[in-house]
Amino acid sequence: MSIASYLFQSIFHPSEITALIKHKFIKPKVTLKIRPEQKQKIRCYEFLDKTSRSFAAVIKELDEDVRDAICIFYLVLRGLDTIEDDMSIPNEKKEPLLRSFHEILSQKGWNFTGSGPHEKDRQLLVEFNIVIDEFLSLRKEFRDIIADIANEMGNGMADYVNNAMHNKYGVQTNKDFDKYCYYVAGLVGIGLTRLFAVSGLENPELEKDTELSIHMGLFLQKANIIRDYLEDLLDGRKFWPKEIWSNYVEDFSQLKESGYETKALNCLSAIILNALHHAPECLNYMNQLHNRSVFSFCAIPQVMAIATFALMFRNYDTFQKVVKIRRGEAIKLIQRCTNIHEVASIFREYNRIIISKNDPKDPNFMKISVACGKVINLFKYI
Amino acid sequence: MSDNYLVIGGEGFLGRWVVEMLLKRGEKNVSVFDIAQRYFDKEVTYYEGNLSNYNDIDDAIRKSNATSVIHTASPHYGGAPKELFWKVNVDGTKNVIDSCVANGVKKLVYTSSSSVIYDGINEIINADETTPYPEIPMDVYNETKAKGERLVIEANGTNGLLTCAVRPSSIFGPNDKQFLPAALNVMRQGQTKFQIGDNSNLIDWTYVENVAHAHLLASDKLFDGSPVAGEVFIITNDTPVPFWDLLRFVWAQFGHYPPYIIKFPKSAGFIIASLAELASYFTGKEPGFTRQRVRYSCNNRYFNIDKAKKLLGYEPIVDLEEGVKRACQSVK
Repeated sequence: MSIASYLFQSIFHPSEITALIKHKFIKPKVTLKIRPEQKQKIRCYEFLDKTSRSFAAVIKELDEDVRDAICIFYLVLRGLDTIEDDMSIPNEKKEPLLRSFHEILSQKGWNFTGSGPHEKDRQLLVEFNIVIDEFLSLRKEFRDIIADIANEMGNGMADYVNNAMHNKYGVQTNKDFDKYCYYVAGLVGIGLTRLFAVSGLENPELEKDTELSIHMGLFLQKANIIRDYLEDLLDGRKFWPKEIWSNYVEDFSQLKESGYETKALNCLSAIILNALHHAPECLNYMNQLHNRSVFSFCAIPQVMAIATFALMFRNYDTFQKVVKIRRGEAIKLIQRCTNIHEVASIFREYNRIIISKNDPKDPNFMKISVACGKVINLFKYI
Repeated sequence: MSDNYLVIGGEGFLGRWVVEMLLKRGEKNVSVFDIAQRYFDKEVTYYEGNLSNYNDIDDAIRKSNATSVIHTASPHYGGAPKELFWKVNVDGTKNVIDSCVANGVKKLVYTSSSSVIYDGINEIINADETTPYPEIPMDVYNETKAKGERLVIEANGTNGLLTCAVRPSSIFGPNDKQFLPAALNVMRQGQTKFQIGDNSNLIDWTYVENVAHAHLLASDKLFDGSPVAGEVFIITNDTPVPFWDLLRFVWAQFGHYPPYIIKFPKSAGFIIASLAELASYFTGKEPGFTRQRVRYSCNNRYFNIDKAKKLLGYEPIVDLEEGVKRACQSVK
């Protein structure tokens, strides 16, 4: 979309217009200092841009020490994800690839041309030898962390590939929900935390409380899973736990059907409530960060998630399309992600929005109220 | 080693819950002191008397052989003449202390109130036990509760008596005479659609069983050298919620949902309240709507209960939602 349409979206939100204009015209463009002869590294950052624009932007703002490691970490995980996602690869072939991916990282020259022709990130695997070369040029501490996480995630994914129950009926219990999110996102949180700690940008103490890192990942992943209800359903995937939706409908797809609007909205409250329980721990995690660039890197996705939850809460559009926060709103939030007080206050603002939409007829009413109360109360001490 | 309990005010709202909890955990020696008997359990010895009369309370403490006195008695908030608050909360508490000391009672637990640190004007945000009493008390209830609490805490150590005070915030529950009737009154008068303020202020409420539980913990933890002796403890459900949310949840238990909400800003509430107060000045009637009430519904009022968690081992045993459901069930 163009800047004009972003501005139009924010027409009733003047502060967002200011933010948009600042972002477009005043903010200096980030230019990475990579020597032109480092062709492979340049290629890696091109891949990063292609696979995830939003993520690429926050990675590039990181301090140099940790930036390359996180870029490679991201591309490695993206490689894993591309193999896992690809329905054209038979399971007999897929499973060993996923399970040995952490070893592949040390095989110079390895690449993979077996992805389906329509796989979005096919080219990344075709040129994966470049990622491997860059991986091998990282410090050993960084390499060990990335390989560790790739190992656990690859094996977790392989288990899901073989899990017929999961593939046919989707996520069952709330415990399964957390477990699935752990493999696809919680582990990312753990890996990033360890990279921050090893790089010296953050206190090594940070990686001791792995639970907090997991909460960071789960909060983001749940926002995605809830938002992508329709898209995933059309792809035949059910990530919402049955333990939640079965209280409202008999079949997961009924949530989007007419006649089930109230039930769908109440179900949405229940799953958002499940996700909101991570919010206090996310704030506790961010409170422990010292480095400014690391702080923004961690906080930006978190505030986007809380804003998305507030937007989706009791909003029937969630079942009809992919709801997105306005570009102007997002830019404004990004500009505010500078310290824990500001981020806690953003969390507070969005929790107040949730409270204002909370409906006493919703069976989750009081629990939502308590969960929001907890977030609002938090960091009033500091 | 089990205690002989005397629950002062044991026929009242909170006191009754203390008695029931003691009986439920199998205590054999439970006595009650109150001005009128309402419950007639075989297991409980009842002593009738007036707290402001030393001989009455001394008689009960002596005869019951009390080793742990739990003092829950107080006139209802706003429901009695000023003199009565002084008589019961201050003079009565003095009598309880004097008799405990004279009879060598080991433990005295006093029911105070979290409002002893509320001045009626300033917000309370994550306040803990280090918050001082306000210089000017909000009203006679808060003033006399604070005085009583001070006397009890100062008596700690006198002739071996160990004391502490429990400060619950906004108690509610089955058979409560204050919160629930008030909430239902708003519903009956069809005023549920009005909201003063933006409902962003958080309030700590406490389900009555949790408060009773805290009293039992306090009594159990009073022993020589205990860090609990001579201390005060704020007790809440530890789940502050927006003011109007709790009311709406109460109304929802009766199948009542406001059809729409009319919001008044806090400032408009103040103007209306000032007019009501002015009108009542001329008519001589109690105003139904006061600036104090506006503040009550618009201010944050929530606490930090880490001290009770750490020293008493307190955790709420009934959560807020379940508490409201139980409370509403009792009046359906």
